[in-house]
Amino acid sequence: MKVIESKGITKNYFRKQVLKELTFSIEENKITGLIGRNGAGKTTLLKIIAGFIRETSGKMNVFSETPFNSLNVSVNSIFVDDQMSFPPALQLGELLNEAARFYPNWDDQLARKLFNYFSFDAKGYHNRLSKGKTSTFNMIIGLASRCPLTIFDEPTTGMDEAVRKDFYRALLKDYIDYPRTIILSSHHLDEIEDLLEDVLLIHNGMILLHMPVSDLKEWAIGVKGASEDVLDFTKEREVLYKNSVGMNTLYVVVKNDFSEEALNKAHQLGLELTPVRSSDLFVYLTTETKGGIDDVFNNN
Amino acid sequence: MQIAEWIESEILNGHFHSDQKVYSQYQLAEMYTINPATAAKGLNLLVEENILYKKRGLGMFVTGEAREIILNKRKNQTLKHLVQELVLEARRLQISNDDLFAMLREKMAEEGGK
Repeated sequence: MKVIESKGITKNYFRKQVLKELTFSIEENKITGLIGRNGAGKTTLLKIIAGFIRETSGKMNVFSETPFNSLNVSVNSIFVDDQMSFPPALQLGELLNEAARFYPNWDDQLARKLFNYFSFDAKGYHNRLSKGKTSTFNMIIGLASRCPLTIFDEPTTGMDEAVRKDFYRALLKDYIDYPRTIILSSHHLDEIEDLLEDVLLIHNGMILLHMPVSDLKEWAIGVKGASEDVLDFTKEREVLYKNSVGMNTLYVVVKNDFSEEALNKAHQLGLELTPVRSSDLFVYLTTETKGGIDDVFNNN
Repeated sequence: MQIAEWIESEILNGHFHSDQKVYSQYQLAEMYTINPATAAKGLNLLVEENILYKKRGLGMFVTGEAREIILNKRKNQTLKHLVQELVLEARRLQISNDDLFAMLREKMAEEGGK
């Protein structure tokens, strides 16, 4: 079953087009990573899915209905980010009580256990928490609510390394016990890729790739060796990344649609063929200006 | 795929016998903090290679030929690949065949002596 169906979703903010005709769907009970650079349109897309804002044109369906102004979508989904607002008059312990009243699948035991594990004070206040603690508290609400559609928008902002690891593991364990549709947005693909089943890669408001993580890992190939051999092997292909190493050595990344034979031949020529880490591929695919940061410092 | 390789190694060093049940995709997901779908892909790879078989509703089990298949595969793929690498590297370093054989023999004698 498709939980989310987006058809030609476009969103304009004043004169700027933030999302450009996005068409995709997300299946039930999968963990999908929404990956994109800063300003790619991740948050805007997620807010349209959650029904927080309305699209300019196109059709968004969540649980087969328009999410904007839908009570059904509202009660079955949660949008977690570091801007979640809670009543400032309530203490953290009271916030948990209220969340328990609001979300039908709420697991109070899980919430309280995580709350204690991360050493929160039930008498503390949300607006006095540090950045990392705010994210941690919001994450607890997001997990314990067990919504059929759970959206985490950059959930690890400000969390330290240990808490991030704990969060990923908690998310996975709870997902195994209570499968649900989860979207996780991040610009750190390497950190979350093991958790994901699918990756939705967006750039400048458009979809670059939408595929299983396992396919993404084999999507590109790195070729390294003597410059002329590398250029010959990769000619007529779109070069995603190119880097000269030393005098006559070249490293090039291209889409991997070579035949087994071609790869064997290349290997015998002495070319070094390596898989491309998905996080590196993400950077190559989304680099605006050809070249890199080195060129900024290059005065010639 | 690392999950598949790990299970193969577990079978090779005798932690799993034939007709014994291996870990489920959920157990593997939990052990390695990976998505259960990824773990399932690893298991299915082994089913395709006849190393594991499925029992409906019960899980995945080690086939009778599993050990043999893994051994053969590693011989034909991994070892062949290593030998190819060895030969290529020897060429690059302009080492003669005799010298390479001598090195191999020396290493084997060393290992055999243990």
